[in-house]
Amino acid sequence: MFDKATEKVYFSDNVVSGGMNGSSPRFMNKGNQMISLKNPKGAMRVAGTMALAGVLSATSLVALGAQTAGASKTYTIAFNVGVTSDPFFLTMRAGATAEAKKLGVNLEWQGNVNYYSPATQLPFLQSALASKPDALIFAPTDTKALEPITNQFVAAGVPVFNVDSGNANQKNIVSWITGNNVQGGQAAADALAKAMNYSASGTYNVVIGVSSVTTSTDAARLAGFKAEIKAKYPKIALKNVFATNSVSATAISDINQALSANPGATGTASGLSGIFAIDGTDAAGAVAALTAKGKLGKVALVGYDAYATSVSQLGKGGFSALIAQQPYLEGQLAVKAAVSYLKNGKSASAAGIMHLNTLANKVLTATTSASVLKKYTYRTK
Amino acid sequence: MPELDRSVLTSSPELPRSRAREILSNQQFLLFVVLIALMTYFYTRNHYFFTVGEFQNIFTDFSGYALLAVGEMFVIVAGGIDLSVGSTVAVSGVLGAWVMNGMMNGHWNQFWVLVVGTIICGIVGAIVGLFNALMITKAKLVPFVATLVTLSAGLGFALLFAQFFNSGQPVGNDPAAAVFSSKAIWVFTYPSIFIIAIVVIAGIVLHLTRYGRYTYAIGSNSFAARAAGINVQRHVGSIYVLSGFLAGLTGMFYFMQLGSGAPTSGDGFELTAIAAVVIGGASLTGGRGRMSGTVLGVFVLTVVTFGLVFINVPPAWTQIVVGGFIALAAALQSLRPSGRKSA
Repeated sequence: MFDKATEKVYFSDNVVSGGMNGSSPRFMNKGNQMISLKNPKGAMRVAGTMALAGVLSATSLVALGAQTAGASKTYTIAFNVGVTSDPFFLTMRAGATAEAKKLGVNLEWQGNVNYYSPATQLPFLQSALASKPDALIFAPTDTKALEPITNQFVAAGVPVFNVDSGNANQKNIVSWITGNNVQGGQAAADALAKAMNYSASGTYNVVIGVSSVTTSTDAARLAGFKAEIKAKYPKIALKNVFATNSVSATAISDINQALSANPGATGTASGLSGIFAIDGTDAAGAVAALTAKGKLGKVALVGYDAYATSVSQLGKGGFSALIAQQPYLEGQLAVKAAVSYLKNGKSASAAGIMHLNTLANKVLTATTSASVLKKYTYRTK
Repeated sequence: MPELDRSVLTSSPELPRSRAREILSNQQFLLFVVLIALMTYFYTRNHYFFTVGEFQNIFTDFSGYALLAVGEMFVIVAGGIDLSVGSTVAVSGVLGAWVMNGMMNGHWNQFWVLVVGTIICGIVGAIVGLFNALMITKAKLVPFVATLVTLSAGLGFALLFAQFFNSGQPVGNDPAAAVFSSKAIWVFTYPSIFIIAIVVIAGIVLHLTRYGRYTYAIGSNSFAARAAGINVQRHVGSIYVLSGFLAGLTGMFYFMQLGSGAPTSGDGFELTAIAAVVIGGASLTGGRGRMSGTVLGVFVLTVVTFGLVFINVPPAWTQIVVGGFIALAAALQSLRPSGRKSA
């Protein structure tokens, strides 16, 4: 689009250094020649930041790799999750890392940093397959799409475990350690009804914020919630389910809309009585919106996941209740099951492993004791 | 890139221009009619639509997209594209939040925390824009590819910083900022007053200053602009810095909304900004479009997106309706007499 006559090529004798892995950011021009920036001063600041970030990621990788301990046979376990930056999976990683250290096995933690999708998860699984681990533990981002790669692992003699989410076909999965999302949704409905002081004489308008209606965990929670209000709370009207795609800003806008659309008193047909924020980003958005509108503590709010900031708002009128999963325990149990399976001649019965290990969710409220809160709060260490 | 200056064609009297065609071609008028129709429809579905509270919501949501669309408008008029603005929102929000959190821990006055935060976010955004500018004007990458680089890397950095500052969770906790950002004079929240002022200034710059005329000239025909003595490289570079700067300010806006800097803020917003510019009548080939059109485009997108939430329509429909608007805008552009609306 710009004047060709002014196009200049600068050969790489002063390439700006820095970057993710110490490599230099070089720019290819049309002739495939390596070119560098003519005046790298401005870019230096960016490059400096890149270098800093590179060091940061390198340190965390070193920390991760330092868990190899001396044992007769050091097993290597590949642990693959949906999104490595999610506090839920960070907590799971902490549990898995602690257990791996205790048992003296090598843990390879992998996953896309941001995108929760089978397309972004598959390459990590393929590279794990190439490295031939002793076992694979993974949280599939799709119930069906990752079955072919699962079969490849099994064919290569690598036992496969599911954690959190699971494959639709569980036949070749040794064990699946998961939270019960349907039960979590039911518990959320009960907690919300309680927080709204539900009685048969009122009308309770409720909205739900989900990340995506097609995510298996969100869908299961939603189904549990709907089933419970249908069975027990006929006066709860589910007005809307909005999808935020994990963007808290969208959740704020959506909650604002729900508040404006239902401006009447809580417990009446024209008011908004309750919100079920199905995941962490929705919860953060809901709290921000309610805080800004001065409705915090007036509209009942039940959140999912026990992030530290959410737990701290339990007693202060923020959340009426939180449905806490047990990602730390999930991580721990998954590694434990895998090692036990490997040490017992790859026999699930000899190792005493359940095929499906469902961990109960815990409802946290303002009256929950401090020690229980501490136990369930997600942590990264 | 149009090789001919099309204004020559429009000014020739022998070209037939029917009255109906002219009205249809006035995209802004049509947009306005559609907007009023939409709002009336939402009102019939729920009478609380025409309330001060709901219009505060609309202007707040409008503000979130407006600066991105304004920056994108400059870039598009100059014949480029900026895909990086969404990630710029994220990275500036996270870094700004980190600085503001440090200031709050040092018991700074809330007002100065927000002022410094705004400056930091703007600077971070401008740096991302500068990086785009260097890749485009010095390394000769096409804008689509150059800004695709920063879109991807920017989000990566936002996540890395969030991981470093607060193990991946949103950085900072400043509920007072959320409360402040919802305070309003009539339907205008404080941040939206600030942002509307910037939009007005940007409109003046684009339409009434030499800077704006150069932008149109470059977008119409960069060869001719160069021949006319415009420093095309420098001007194009400055536009990407401007777009980055405005995206940085948007990062601050979302920090204030949320009370923290989330690395997921701004995810996909670049497409909303581009959609608003296109719906507003600007041409992706450059040199054409008006700021008032873009403002209307943002308004229509905001009202559609959140109005449908207001009347409890499932979210998938929002996407379809927005797609319909883009198709309509494109159809109108092909109907329009081939003349430049402005220069």
